[in-house]
Amino acid sequence: MRRTFVVGRRVLRQLRRNPRFLVLTIVGPLVIVYFLKLFFDTFPEGFDTGRYAVPAAAFIVHFMAFLLCAIALVQERTAGTMERMFVNGFRRAEVIGGYVLGYLGLATFQAAVALGEVLWLFELDYDADVLASLFAVVWLLAIASVMLGIFVSTFARRESQVFPFIPLIAFPSVFLSGLLMEPDELPRWAELLGRAFPVFYANEVIQEMIEPGGALADVWTNFAVLAGYGAALLVLASLTLREVE
Amino acid sequence: MDAIELEGLEKRYGKKVQALRGVDLSVRKGEVFGLVGPNGAGKTTLIKALVGSLRPSGGRARVLGLDPLKDRTELRRRIGYMPQSPVLYDDLSGLENVEFFGAAHGVRGLRERAREALRFVELEERANDPVHTLSGGMKNRVSLACALVHRPEMLFLDEPTAGVDPRLRSRFWAAFRELARGGVTLFISTHLMDEATLCDRVAILRQGRVVVSDSPREILRRGRTRLLVRENGKEEERIIGGRPEDLAEALHAYGLRKSVSAVSVETDSLEQVVLSIIGEEA
Ligand SMILES: Nc1ncnc2c1ncn2[C@@H]1O[C@H](COP(=O)(O)OP(=O)(O)OP(=O)(O)O)[C@@H](O)[C@H]1O
Ligand SMILES: [Mg+2]
Repeated sequence: MRRTFVVGRRVLRQLRRNPRFLVLTIVGPLVIVYFLKLFFDTFPEGFDTGRYAVPAAAFIVHFMAFLLCAIALVQERTAGTMERMFVNGFRRAEVIGGYVLGYLGLATFQAAVALGEVLWLFELDYDADVLASLFAVVWLLAIASVMLGIFVSTFARRESQVFPFIPLIAFPSVFLSGLLMEPDELPRWAELLGRAFPVFYANEVIQEMIEPGGALADVWTNFAVLAGYGAALLVLASLTLREVE
Repeated sequence: MDAIELEGLEKRYGKKVQALRGVDLSVRKGEVFGLVGPNGAGKTTLIKALVGSLRPSGGRARVLGLDPLKDRTELRRRIGYMPQSPVLYDDLSGLENVEFFGAAHGVRGLRERAREALRFVELEERANDPVHTLSGGMKNRVSLACALVHRPEMLFLDEPTAGVDPRLRSRFWAAFRELARGGVTLFISTHLMDEATLCDRVAILRQGRVVVSDSPREILRRGRTRLLVRENGKEEERIIGGRPEDLAEALHAYGLRKSVSAVSVETDSLEQVVLSIIGEEA
C-alpha cells in the first residue's frame, strides 16, 4: 500500500512539472465544449441542447482521461522505467494503483471544469441534487476511463500500438452509447455492444437526471455498473500487465 | 555458493533470433565481473534474465542462490540494476529519481541515503536539477545512484560507461572498485576490451556464447609474446608463450652476446588474444 502512494505521488509530481501538458489537458476540453456550443447555436430556437451537451462533456472527459493515462503508461514501458520499477520491487497492483491515484486528481478536475462550462455556456439550470449526481456520474466515468486506459496500455509495447485502440474506443462510444439517440432504437446486437462501453451507463444516468422529474432511484444500478466496470478493468489490468517479458 | 551460477542459459526472441545459446558461467561473491562482447552479443539479454525481467527459453540460472523468476520478490530486494542508457524520469530531479527508486525498497532515512548516493557519483551540486537539463554522462551517474541507493549486495550494470568521457570513466571504475571493497559483487557489461582488464574476471560473450571466462591475466597468458632481437644489424623475431617465465627461458637459450645490440618484447593485447581464441574455435 505504501508503495502505491509512492507511485501515485510520483505520477502527480510529473504532471505538476509539466504545466504545458496540464494546461492543454484542461483547456483542450474547454475549447471543444465551446465548439459544441457554436454548433448547437446553429440549431432552431427551443431545441433541447441539454440532452446532448451534458453527455458530450462526459464523453470528452472520458476520452481525455483514457487517452492520457494509456499513453503515459505505454511511455513508461518504452522508456524502460516500467521495467526499472519492477526490478526495484514495485508490484503490478502498486503501479496500477499509483496511476489510478495520480490520474484521479486530474480526472476530477477535468470532470468539474468540463461540466461547469457546459452548464454555464448552455445556461442549463438544474437543482443541486441533480448537479450532484451529474458530477458524481461524470467523475465515476472518468475513473472508469483511467482504468480503461491502463487496461488498453497493457496490450501495447510501443506508443504506436495504442493508436489503433483510439477509434475502437471512441467511435462506438459516440454512436452506440446513446449520446446521439436512444440506444433502444438500435438493432439489438448494436445496443448490446454499446453496453460494453462505460459512456453508455453514464449517459443513462445523465438522461434520467436532466429530465424533469427524473429520479436517481431509477438509475442507481447504472452507478453500480460503472463502479463495477472500473473495478473489473482494474483486476483485468493487473492480470494483463506483464512484469516479465 | 557463488553469486551467479548459470547452466546452459538460452533465450530466443521469436523463431529466428537466438540471443543466448547455452551460457555457462559462474561469478564469485565480492568480485568485479566483466561481461564483454560486441553489439548484439547478448549482454543486455543476459542481464535482463539475471534480474528477472526476462524469461529465459531454457537452462538454469541462480543469482545469490535464488531463482530470478520464482524468487524475484526476495532477489529484487538484494540486487541493484542499472539499465543500458539512463532510464530515468526526465521531468523529475536527480534526487527525486533516486528517492523514487529507493522508496520501492523502503529505505530508511531515504533523503539522506539518496543524497549520499548522489555524493558517491559526485553529482551533489546538481541534485535538484531536472534530469532533462543534465548532460548524458550526468544522467548516467544519476542512473547509477538509483541502482545503489538501497545498498544492494549485488549490482548489475549494463554498459555503465558507454558515452562517458575518459576521466569520468576512470572515476566510475574507481567507484566500482570501492563498492567491491565494501563486499558488493558487481556484474558489469561493456564492449570495451580495455575495461575488461580492470575486472577480476571476465567472460567474453559472442553471438550468445561464452568464448572464454577467466581472469584477464590468465586470458593474457594464452596469448603470444614476440621477442625481437637485433644482432649484427639484423632483426630476428622469436615467438614465445605468454608467460613471463617463458621470456627468461628464451633469453637464456638465446644467450646475450656482445653482438646483440637491442632486445625488445611485444605482447598480445587482450583483444588480440581474444580474437585468436575466436579464430581457433571457428
Ligand atoms: N526484444 C527483442 N526482440 C527481438 N530480438 C531482440 C530483442 N532484444 C534483443 N534482440 C536480439 O538479441 C540479440 C542480443 O541482443 P542484446 O540486446 O542482448 O545485445 P547486447 O550485447 O546488449 O548489444 P549492445 O552492445 O548493442 O547493447 C540481438 O541479435 C538482438 O537483435
Ligand atoms: Mg546491450
